[in-house]
Amino acid sequence: MSKYIVSSSPHIANERTVTTIMLEVLIALIPAVVASVYFFGFYALFLEVLSVGAAIGAEALFNLITKKEQTITDCSAAVTGLLLALNLPVSVPFYVPIIGSAFAIVFVKMLFGGIGKNFANPAIAGRIFLLLAWSAAMTSFVKPIVWSNGEAFSYFRCILKGRDGLVDVAAVSTATPLASLRFGAAKEGLLAMFLGNVGGSLGETSALALLIGGVYLIVRRIIDWRVPVTFIGTVAVFALIYGAAKGQPLAYVLPSVLGGGLFLGAFFMATDYSTTPNTKLGLTVFAFGCGLITSLIRFFGSYPEGVSFAILLMNIVTPYIDKACRPRPFGYVQKKGAKA
Amino acid sequence: MKFTFKRGVHPADNKYIAKDFALSDFPTPAVVSIPLSQHIGAPAAAVVAVGDSVKVGSLIGKSVGFVSANVYSSVSGTVKDIVTIRTAIGSRCSHIVIENDGLYEESFFEPILAPDAASVKARVAEAGIVGMGGATFPTHVKLSPRTPVDVLIINAAECEPYITCDYRLCLEKTQEIFQGIEYMMIALGVSVAYIGVEDNKPDAISALSAFATDKIKVIPLVTKYPQGAEKQLIYSITKRVVPEGALPADVGAVVDNVHTAFAVYEAVALGKPSFMRAMTVSGKACLRPGNFFVRNGVSYHDVADFVGVTDNVKKVISGGPMMGFAQADLTPCTGKGTSSLLFLTEEEISSEIKPISACINCASCASHCPMRLMPMFIERAVEAEDALEAKKLHALSCLECGCCAYVCPARRPLVTSMRRAKKMIKEKGV
Repeated sequence: MSKYIVSSSPHIANERTVTTIMLEVLIALIPAVVASVYFFGFYALFLEVLSVGAAIGAEALFNLITKKEQTITDCSAAVTGLLLALNLPVSVPFYVPIIGSAFAIVFVKMLFGGIGKNFANPAIAGRIFLLLAWSAAMTSFVKPIVWSNGEAFSYFRCILKGRDGLVDVAAVSTATPLASLRFGAAKEGLLAMFLGNVGGSLGETSALALLIGGVYLIVRRIIDWRVPVTFIGTVAVFALIYGAAKGQPLAYVLPSVLGGGLFLGAFFMATDYSTTPNTKLGLTVFAFGCGLITSLIRFFGSYPEGVSFAILLMNIVTPYIDKACRPRPFGYVQKKGAKA
Repeated sequence: MKFTFKRGVHPADNKYIAKDFALSDFPTPAVVSIPLSQHIGAPAAAVVAVGDSVKVGSLIGKSVGFVSANVYSSVSGTVKDIVTIRTAIGSRCSHIVIENDGLYEESFFEPILAPDAASVKARVAEAGIVGMGGATFPTHVKLSPRTPVDVLIINAAECEPYITCDYRLCLEKTQEIFQGIEYMMIALGVSVAYIGVEDNKPDAISALSAFATDKIKVIPLVTKYPQGAEKQLIYSITKRVVPEGALPADVGAVVDNVHTAFAVYEAVALGKPSFMRAMTVSGKACLRPGNFFVRNGVSYHDVADFVGVTDNVKKVISGGPMMGFAQADLTPCTGKGTSSLLFLTEEEISSEIKPISACINCASCASHCPMRLMPMFIERAVEAEDALEAKKLHALSCLECGCCAYVCPARRPLVTSMRRAKKMIKEKGV
């Protein structure tokens, strides 16, 4: 046995590992977590912790049972758990994030072979599963809290019975800006939408918080700017055209961009490595498709929101996008008579 | 205009460790073992026998074909033995073991006073000059391109971290380098030469610029690895793209290392054959790093003894950290291509030795590949033993520069997969 390490070149590597990438994504989500607590109180944090814990627990248990090497230290389960929590309304009972995370990790990620092998984004698929299983709970939204009224812990009343646990449901229920947009222009002020002071899922209301995290990921080169820019840009252009057809070109643009789960999806879900294309061109096509499907669902579908369906559908066609967008090597020569 | 190529990586260059040590003569030990294979191509055939006495510059190994190179004695003394030992790249070859009498009696060629294309080419072949950047391709072959060329590119990029021997040569042997370049231009019949230097070596750029002319220009290159890779360098300077499977000469360019230009100068102007080279000894486990003129055949043991190596050395690399060869022990001996010997501590290689995990499909390898390949897919083709798919993914174009493995967050040994892919394609003949 040599006292020196013998291995193939290269002998140096950069510092970034799977774990540090996942930690950076978690860091980028801190503003959204802070915003969720600010707007919905400490029950939001409770749901987030449960969701993250359930995701990590489910992965650990799966590895244990299937006798696989433990993978929870790469922190990817924590990212899935947190993203799923940020997709929930604050008024869900405590078991919803637990079941959702466990489903996302076990059925969407681990059964396909774990990190890098899954074709669908686990958090997105988990959310859609919850949407189908608890449709009412997943689509009823409540108003942000007022701290000065001592409401910091108010939504803990949802812990067992969800929204039914709230004493005066009518007083706190609200439509999301997107839902109101379908019935004319959004009632909510644009500033409130930008800051997040509106009804919606825990982590999707504050465009500002998501933007801070998203820009951080772009600057750190964890995600490619093309995805959020193309995704959001497509939605904006579609809203402009839709508005123009209705005689109000600008009325729909900003509410469409700031409302719903667009920023959360565009910065944090459509940028997942495993389930999106591998080339810059492929990513641009993918993001354009996400934007188009989102807009079609929002304006013409029966759901007010279409970001997660759009991403899931584009996840499915990702291998085909990759095949179509394969890069030509440096010095590529078209072979005579070669089949395409 | 920026002189650079697309993609690539930016490793910490760590050149500060050795860069300020001027070139000095490495003390040659009492015994040298000179490998007969110091070049790409057929090993030279021994032309000396045990007991023969040799001088510095005596032919000891004769070239056996066009792609081969002569080997000369680096000391004067007596041939003690001919042994087969491991070389730095891991193969085994014959070494001529010579007892050094310490007199360094020389037996050189006559200087060429009025060089022309034929005499320069003949001298370069005779003197056993090979690519000194580390690739060790026989230089006379490069000086005889199969298609007409119009530009000579001198590679002084020195893009590998740690290595500073070319930098020291640029500073200390500037005039000699220009003389060598002129000889090479005569041999090739070209009227323009560019010397490409990465812009992290401003002293070298200004030293060379003092001698630059309309014919021989100095090009400051963007500091980025692998700026010194042949196809990338040609693109950076001339924006010409060498087609897959083609040679630089096919786009009218010849690329030679700056140290090769210096060797050509010595062979033509001084009649000195190739038996010595500038070499960097560096790394944080090295007590007295530096840049040395080292004669061929000095064992790595002797190098380590002279520079002093601390106990916390974890990896010994012959060549640069991106493309060099890890050594299991210090048996191998220096040759014409030994540009550096690095003694690295655990701290320096800490991120490279982290455990391998599953590919997360981040495509970092693809987005940094200077050849625009998709290493993660080639790796999968290798795992599936699908040689045809690996070929379709252009695995044969891989430079093995290491950018993919350098950036891989899952630490996958992608370069190993690329080599396996090439081997598989050749073996299966797809």
